[in-house]
Amino acid sequence: MDKQTDFVLRTIEERGVKFVRLWFTDVAGTLKSVAIAPAEVEGAFAEGLGFDGSAIEGLARTYEADMLAVPDPSTFQILPWRGEIDPTARMFCDIQTPDGQPAAADPRNVLRRALAKASDKGFSFYIHPEIEFYLLKSSQIGPEGPIPVDKAGYFDNVPGGTAHDFRRKAVTMLEQLGISVEFSHHEGGPGQNEIDLRYADALTMADNIMTFRTVIKEVAIEQGVYATFMPKPFTEHPGSGMHTHMSLFEGDTNAFFDPSSQYHLSKTARHFIAGLLRHASEITAVTNQYVNSYKRLWGGGEAPSFVCWGHNNRSALIRVPLYKPNKGGSSRIEYRAIDSAANPYLAYALILSAGLKGIEEEYELPAETEDNVWDLSESERRAMGIQPLPTSLEHAIRKLEESELAAETLGEEVYSYVLANKRREWAEYRAQVTPFELKQNFEVL
Amino acid sequence: MAYAERPGGLSELARYGFVDLSGTMQKIDQLVKLVGDPGRSAIASLSKSADPDQALNALLGFAETYPTQIKSLLKKEDSATRLCLVLGASAALTDFLRRRPEAFGEFEKPISSLDGAAELNRHLLGVVEPLLTPGFESQKVWTALRVEYRRQLLRIAIFDVSAADPLAVQPTVAAALADLAGAAIEAGLRIARAELALTTEFGIFDPREIDDTRLTVIAMGKCGARELNYISDVDVIYVGQSSTEETSHQRAVEIATKIATRMMRAMDGTAPEPGLWQVDPNLRPEGKSGALVRTLESHVSYYERWAESWEFQALLKARPLAGDMDLGRAYVEALAPKVWASASRDNFVESAQRMRERVTEHIPADEVDRQIKLGPGGLRDIEFTVQLLQLVHGRTDDSVRQRDTLSALEALANAGYVGRSEAALFSAHYKFLRVLEHRIQLSNLRRTHLMPTAEVARRAIARSVDIKLTAEQLIQRWEGVKLEVRSLHQKLFYRPLLSAVARLDGQSLELTSQQAYDRLSAIGFEDPKGALVHIQALTSGLSRRAAIQKQLLPVLLQWFAEGTDPDAALLAFRRLSEDLGESHWYLRMLRDSSGAARAMTQVLANSRLATELFEKIPEAAAWFERDEDLIPMNKDELRTEVLSLLSRHSGVDAAGAAIRHIRRRETLRVAIGAVLGSLTIDEVMTGITDLNEAYLLGLLECVMTFDDADVCDVPVREVLDLGIVAMGRFGGAELGFGSDADVMFVYQPNQPELAEKAQKVAERVIAEIKRLATDPLLEFDLDLDLRPEGKKGAVARSLDSYAAYYQRWSDTWEAQALIRARVIAGGAELTKAFTALIDQYRYPSLLSEAAVLEIRRIKARVENERLPQGADPKRHMKLGRGSLSDVEWLVQLLQLKFGAAHPSIRSPRTLDSLRACAAAGLVAEHDARVLEEAWLLATRARSASVLWGNKRTDVLPTDRKQLEGMARILEYPRGGAAQLEEDYLAFTRRARAVFERVFYA
Repeated sequence: MDKQTDFVLRTIEERGVKFVRLWFTDVAGTLKSVAIAPAEVEGAFAEGLGFDGSAIEGLARTYEADMLAVPDPSTFQILPWRGEIDPTARMFCDIQTPDGQPAAADPRNVLRRALAKASDKGFSFYIHPEIEFYLLKSSQIGPEGPIPVDKAGYFDNVPGGTAHDFRRKAVTMLEQLGISVEFSHHEGGPGQNEIDLRYADALTMADNIMTFRTVIKEVAIEQGVYATFMPKPFTEHPGSGMHTHMSLFEGDTNAFFDPSSQYHLSKTARHFIAGLLRHASEITAVTNQYVNSYKRLWGGGEAPSFVCWGHNNRSALIRVPLYKPNKGGSSRIEYRAIDSAANPYLAYALILSAGLKGIEEEYELPAETEDNVWDLSESERRAMGIQPLPTSLEHAIRKLEESELAAETLGEEVYSYVLANKRREWAEYRAQVTPFELKQNFEVL
Repeated sequence: MAYAERPGGLSELARYGFVDLSGTMQKIDQLVKLVGDPGRSAIASLSKSADPDQALNALLGFAETYPTQIKSLLKKEDSATRLCLVLGASAALTDFLRRRPEAFGEFEKPISSLDGAAELNRHLLGVVEPLLTPGFESQKVWTALRVEYRRQLLRIAIFDVSAADPLAVQPTVAAALADLAGAAIEAGLRIARAELALTTEFGIFDPREIDDTRLTVIAMGKCGARELNYISDVDVIYVGQSSTEETSHQRAVEIATKIATRMMRAMDGTAPEPGLWQVDPNLRPEGKSGALVRTLESHVSYYERWAESWEFQALLKARPLAGDMDLGRAYVEALAPKVWASASRDNFVESAQRMRERVTEHIPADEVDRQIKLGPGGLRDIEFTVQLLQLVHGRTDDSVRQRDTLSALEALANAGYVGRSEAALFSAHYKFLRVLEHRIQLSNLRRTHLMPTAEVARRAIARSVDIKLTAEQLIQRWEGVKLEVRSLHQKLFYRPLLSAVARLDGQSLELTSQQAYDRLSAIGFEDPKGALVHIQALTSGLSRRAAIQKQLLPVLLQWFAEGTDPDAALLAFRRLSEDLGESHWYLRMLRDSSGAARAMTQVLANSRLATELFEKIPEAAAWFERDEDLIPMNKDELRTEVLSLLSRHSGVDAAGAAIRHIRRRETLRVAIGAVLGSLTIDEVMTGITDLNEAYLLGLLECVMTFDDADVCDVPVREVLDLGIVAMGRFGGAELGFGSDADVMFVYQPNQPELAEKAQKVAERVIAEIKRLATDPLLEFDLDLDLRPEGKKGAVARSLDSYAAYYQRWSDTWEAQALIRARVIAGGAELTKAFTALIDQYRYPSLLSEAAVLEIRRIKARVENERLPQGADPKRHMKLGRGSLSDVEWLVQLLQLKFGAAHPSIRSPRTLDSLRACAAAGLVAEHDARVLEEAWLLATRARSASVLWGNKRTDVLPTDRKQLEGMARILEYPRGGAAQLEEDYLAFTRRARAVFERVFYA
């Protein structure tokens, strides 16, 4: 710890950092930030920074208002968009109660707990997300809905286009923040882009995703456009998912890899997939946490609406990507339900726990699905035992309510907060009269 | 040469200590054949060795291969003895001699003193240095180093086993072993530097850079304290930096890391001569994940900012061992002050507790009895107490800052923190245990702290400690030492606390108050000044009580410190002791029955309810002596006692007072059982319910019996029969501490024409019962609100009136309340008639849909309205989500619906009925289990909350200390508050899910 702390304190000195932002994430997945002066950083390392936790969504019960934010020195980075004048840095924090215990409601702590459980079994959990988002002309919504910056499609190269510049700038900035980018390209929808982050352990990656969202928003502002991670901003265009590749490692070996079996999937990988499939519906309210998320899940196209797995099947919930010869280390599976607006800490904690449950209890992996599930008829799917994911937030809440796995992983506090929060959202949504209804009914009735 | 002749017979051989007698005769002959007469005389030397058979076998083997050397050694009695002693004590060194016969030379001359560190360094370097030529082979040099190390080890072993008093030389031997380890590491460093400079295998280095690199090895742990074992890991820390401007510190640390890594390989890497031991660098900053080598500055800043308390404790033993000694000294000087500053940190108490936990850490059950180091009465016990005392007192007194245990003990005695005689006693015990450990390790040069199980091995160890000891005697002596060491912590840490305020017999030592405060706060007393005042009060004066308490307080203090609230416990103990004064039995119990005293302290330190009752009934202390006295009285016993009491008293008030006393006394008995965990929650509920029944019954009897109650002009029994109906949790026999007693009264006039009079008499009897039941010392709440018409209704009704009422007015909620009605007093006829009456209503043959709907509606309303303002429904143990009322309403609904068809489910007791419902298939097995778990945990938590704080609360507390107190009563481990909370929330959440599905379905 001290080497990193020394490094932080030294860098603050050498680079003349003027402010240090302490970042943490609330239960809903919103990034919270508090700026402190460099002089306070040392104290914050030693004792944490006190703040009123009850003001933060879901973080603390009113009677436990005092909380401590303790910065994690390994996450120190200078924020590139602040420029060289008054340089600003940031660190992610762990939240603690005044007696120094990890706060039950800190999402980072939820993920840490899940990772510790995996580590007890000898596993570390690696993640590689493909994050999709839309670039819009502005945050204003036009008469026809949001206005994208271009009309291009999948892998299109738009000469002199905003998106191209945008991606170059964003990738540079991410690299400056120590976040490696694997790949970036234009996605299917107009103004839709995808940036893939290079794999990292789950905690680092969850931090990276939070940083990523901020970077994208900042670069957009700089370029006079607007970026959104909303799961489904356009009825007619694809939604923004966050397909996530994942693998378990035992030390330096990929625990998902077994050269002798089908698709080179080890027994561990098969149980992990089985666990994730069996519990997928229960955790959907977290991996797809908004009313709008379900417009993406059930919007057709490649959306993974059904619980099944396949080898390179782009309609399956879990895809086992094509194996590259002699790359045992890269064996992985891809979970395709999660969307770009999820709270990554909670979502990855649940995905990991579901997979581990499969390993622990040695769940049997159901048969692979080779067809495009969307092309099957309702009764064909039934015959094949393929269940749908929840069709709405309300449906997902009901599944989450029944989930022991989720309660155990999130802890009772976070679990009941998430439920209450989502029930409220659903109640508010249900009370709306939508443009759809007006269009369908108003003139006719 | 007394034994020059062939021994006279087998029994003579046995006297010499041989086991394999007939074989030995042949072997001696063979030996004589090989080396001549000296072979025969060897028998005397052999007889002095720990294992003569083993020694003779080895000797014979050697004589075949090296007859000349052996012959010359055997010729002289003293060299023969040295040889035989080592061969008998160590199979591993015998092997070494087999590999390196040149080492036989070490036996020739007596070894009267051991070489110091400087000489050992010279020996080892002298062997190594000539071999360090360009392109040398590491394994060859390693072998030379190790052979020389073992030759020196052999010398230490010769010195050790031939000492007249092994205990006396133990510290010298341990110090020499540490010095030898240092010399090996020094030579290892020399080899490592040469590897970097003279070979290319580990990278190309500029010789100037290697020269500029300063590296020091700091010894920690036993090596640091110069009290090393024959074989053990050597704990070290590395400090490295550059000595010049040209080479950067960074580069120097890089090179130093290489040197350190190669040095460790020299100690344990593979080579023809086996490795020595592991060098363990894991005490360094950040442990395994930290950099192997750091600069001095980096070490200092780590300890300034990040180090945890235990890391400072580890620094107690730091000592420059090898490499750049100036740098090493600078390290120790820079860090020593920080060790002592650490004891003033806030979390010192916790770290002391953690230290204690490490002492009692888990040892496999089958090893406990054989552990010399860990385990009760082991070396670790002595080390823990000495270190704790050093940390507590070393803050202000630098004379006790010694590295090794024996010097520290002596310094503590010199400075007056422990008594001289105790210090001497435990020094001797420490040396004895260390000698055992040394002998066991020497045998195979294996790292072990376990007494061997084999009789032969034990015998050898006994003989090596003292040639006259048998295995059995050794174990006996060891057990004696263990027993005394077990009491050491009390003798050295707790007992001197008393000396701050009282004169102790046979102890010259006196702590100052400040010294006593230091110790008391270190073990968790929040108000050490107050505590010392209590200790003074308990021990002052010349009374027998003070004398006995002086004896006992050290151990009592330790027990108090293990509870949740030591300050309160000590105060309560003082009050108790003042109340009981000189009672003979009390003092005897404290003195003679340690189990009783322990149980009493546990109650005082963990339960305010029991403590407060105790102060009112001090004589209850006597119960701890007999387990039978802690079993709650059953219904019949209580009844018998109450009735016999009525026969002895003549007035209603006097009898009432006596009955109230019984209730207080028996409540305490149940409370003690609950705190000690000897009663299940079921037994607690039954105990309290029985007690309340007997209480009301007794008071009723009392009012009906004595004229001075003045309730009627003729005997009451001639006018009516009065029955008491227990309702609610009382009816269900589920009362906890501090629960209300819900009841209704029913009567039957003896003659129809007495109806009017009977009503009046009943009302007066009830008023009188209420008056007598009121107890300012232990609240009793008689609640009549569940009667027909509630608060507006008459306090008593005749059987007919009940019948009429229920027929005309009864609401569904009343029928529901009747489910738990149970007649606890009244004549058989009245009981039967009343039960038959209410059965029609509580088990209706058909429960209408409207009624079901109404119950559901009321329940939903109650959930909203009855919950106190602002209470978190998740944490309300009575009305909250999935808590008591959810489970109870569900069970009651099932009984209302199905009670008529399924008589088996009829019961006022929630769990009985729930289980019966499951058995009858009315609720799924799994659901029933979930409900039962939640109901039980909520019930237990409520009971624990009253026991701990003596306050009734229906809300699971959020205050950590309070939760912790409850968790301890619920038998969670120390620090279980968070787990209790998580469990409670999870159990009730599951129960709520079942409830919603089944109740509202």
